[in-house]
Amino acid sequence: MTTGPGSKKTAQSPTPKKSAVTVKWARRLEVGREVLRNPLTVIGLTIIFLFLMMAVFAPLLAEPNQPDPYQSPRDWSNIDSPPGVAGHVLGTDSTGGDVLYGIIWGSRLSLQLSVTVVLFTLVFGTMVGSIAAMRGGRIDNLLMRIVDVFLSIPELIFALAIAAVLGPSFSNIILALAAVFWVKYARIIRGEIIKVKQADYVAAARVVGDSSWNIYRKDVLPNAATPLIVQATLDMGNVVLIGATLSFIGLAQAGLTEWGALVSAGQSGLLAGEWWVSTFAGLAIVLWALAFNLVGDGLRDVLDPKTEGR
Amino acid sequence: MSQDWLLKVDNLSVRFQSRGGDAHAVEGVSFEIQRGETLALVGETGCGKSVTARSILRLVPEPPGKYVAGSIKLNVEGKGVVDILSASTKEVMAIRGERISMIFQDPGKALNPSLTIGSQLAEVFGQHRVEMILESAGIEPARASRAEKRIAKQRASFVQLRFFQLTRRSKAAALQKSIDDAVARSLADTGIPNPRKIMKSYPHELSGGMKQRVMIAQALACDPDLLIADEPTTALDVTIQARILELIQDMQKRRGMAVLYITHDLSIVREFADRIAVMYAGHIVETGPAQEVLANPQHPYTNGLLGAIPHRRTPRGQLAAIPGSVPQLIDPPEQCHFASRCQWAAEACLGHVPQLHTIQPNRKVACFRFEEAESLSVAKTDMPIPAEISGEARR
Repeated sequence: MTTGPGSKKTAQSPTPKKSAVTVKWARRLEVGREVLRNPLTVIGLTIIFLFLMMAVFAPLLAEPNQPDPYQSPRDWSNIDSPPGVAGHVLGTDSTGGDVLYGIIWGSRLSLQLSVTVVLFTLVFGTMVGSIAAMRGGRIDNLLMRIVDVFLSIPELIFALAIAAVLGPSFSNIILALAAVFWVKYARIIRGEIIKVKQADYVAAARVVGDSSWNIYRKDVLPNAATPLIVQATLDMGNVVLIGATLSFIGLAQAGLTEWGALVSAGQSGLLAGEWWVSTFAGLAIVLWALAFNLVGDGLRDVLDPKTEGR
Repeated sequence: MSQDWLLKVDNLSVRFQSRGGDAHAVEGVSFEIQRGETLALVGETGCGKSVTARSILRLVPEPPGKYVAGSIKLNVEGKGVVDILSASTKEVMAIRGERISMIFQDPGKALNPSLTIGSQLAEVFGQHRVEMILESAGIEPARASRAEKRIAKQRASFVQLRFFQLTRRSKAAALQKSIDDAVARSLADTGIPNPRKIMKSYPHELSGGMKQRVMIAQALACDPDLLIADEPTTALDVTIQARILELIQDMQKRRGMAVLYITHDLSIVREFADRIAVMYAGHIVETGPAQEVLANPQHPYTNGLLGAIPHRRTPRGQLAAIPGSVPQLIDPPEQCHFASRCQWAAEACLGHVPQLHTIQPNRKVACFRFEEAESLSVAKTDMPIPAEISGEARR
């Protein structure tokens, strides 16, 4: 390819304008591409995507039951029927509830549970941990002792106790899980901030006269947040797992299309050879938790290469 | 000249609380820096030089640090004298970056890894030069809207910034251009080629020397009166060291600012400093014009430091290390702190802490035995002083 002096000039002329923001997004895209290079992460993302689609298009996949779509429609003529019986692809439970319907509408509840609990705990935990780390001294001590108290009780038992006190309902499960999960974030972010605070660039920001809030916002938090992102992804799965345990024990309303409640409903039939209710609902839980764990691990490998992935 | 002091540190004492007692990191340190002057604070690790430097910007974390006594007075042109230690946080924040700035040892660690170079430098302008940014964007500072001010200050949230960019296109572009121009100018000042490109890079994409230039650009963005350089070249390759130091010297000459070097590298002192203050165990033990002190050290510690410098002409096995190690700083005994390592220590040295005596105009030394200088200088000839340090090679 030969170019004359004229065309050379045009080739060099104004470089495409890129603002700092575009550069930032380009970098995020780069991270995204790197994440996608891991096949396991891609599998996890695909499963999550399918579940999301399932939740969004639930009314199309299974006609909502009236008046409450989160109660399975009862088909009293088909009780405990195995998978494949007409109209019930995955069979029915002992009250004639369709298992497939339960799983489809249950994905909405699981999503709701994951997002609310993780969002709330992430924000609240970060706030507590940040205050502790930035203030230090007595406030740090006080807050961290509170966190210690929470951490000293096994999370499942603690969630169980709270949910039991509040009474059986789905929103109480959310509350119980939120009360348990925030401490982890407070711990993680506090440790990270204390580490980042020592960095010279924080001192350098103070040298040029930056305010504490600005330093926290621009220098400290962005460099301390990576483990939080990973933890949040992993917790998206964990929350559903523990939530399912709670409703399995019976802390959700009876007949709710919640996966844990479904497993619980099918439990009595297991010995009688009616395996399908618990198995399919359990499979949904496993897949959900697995998918988020795969993505969380993949994210950690990319964002924090220092910790060995496998 | 003496009326024209810029910074006066008077009897500064900083202690750190620890389990075993208070560590006396800096004890009764006094010195002055004139406008445009270069002072080198020299000493080995743990002698208190960095704490002294950070105290000047009130960067010592409290607790565990504590300013026990003394004052640090800054002579602000046209505004009078401010005592940094007793000033309000707001006043100190206004001084930082604007009047006094600092560069750090390891440029790799002194830049925020998650921000582009451009946005880090923009922070400085947002802190101290909001009016300039607004003006050059064609906005009258007094009439600027909240959003415009926040953007100039680099405080706008992502949503606010985007909204402004969508609704006030031309103003947003003008503001962005004004910020970018200021940043590019300050980068170009430090001899960074292609500043517009560097602005968009992240710190990990730059070399060590380049990062140090960015640090210098950030520190000097607001034309400070005093630059504190805390071992500015220790983390750099030898080949780049000289260039960075020359850059600092060049900036100093152009802007008439004073520089305080914190270093243990005596060749830097010889080359770049006007005056030198030698620190040992939290005390200044000797001070005077750099050339004179290096050519004719009066304190045994300075003498030892000079002898401990390796040199290509020093025969193998002849490097004279100072025996012993730095004494404990926690509840130090009332005596000359160097006594335990000093070959000329006498009984007088164990009684009390020696104060700085003026031995010649401009020169002070804290040693009880300086009067016996004869014996010292006789002993001194035993120690080979590298030609580059004593200055013979260059003349």
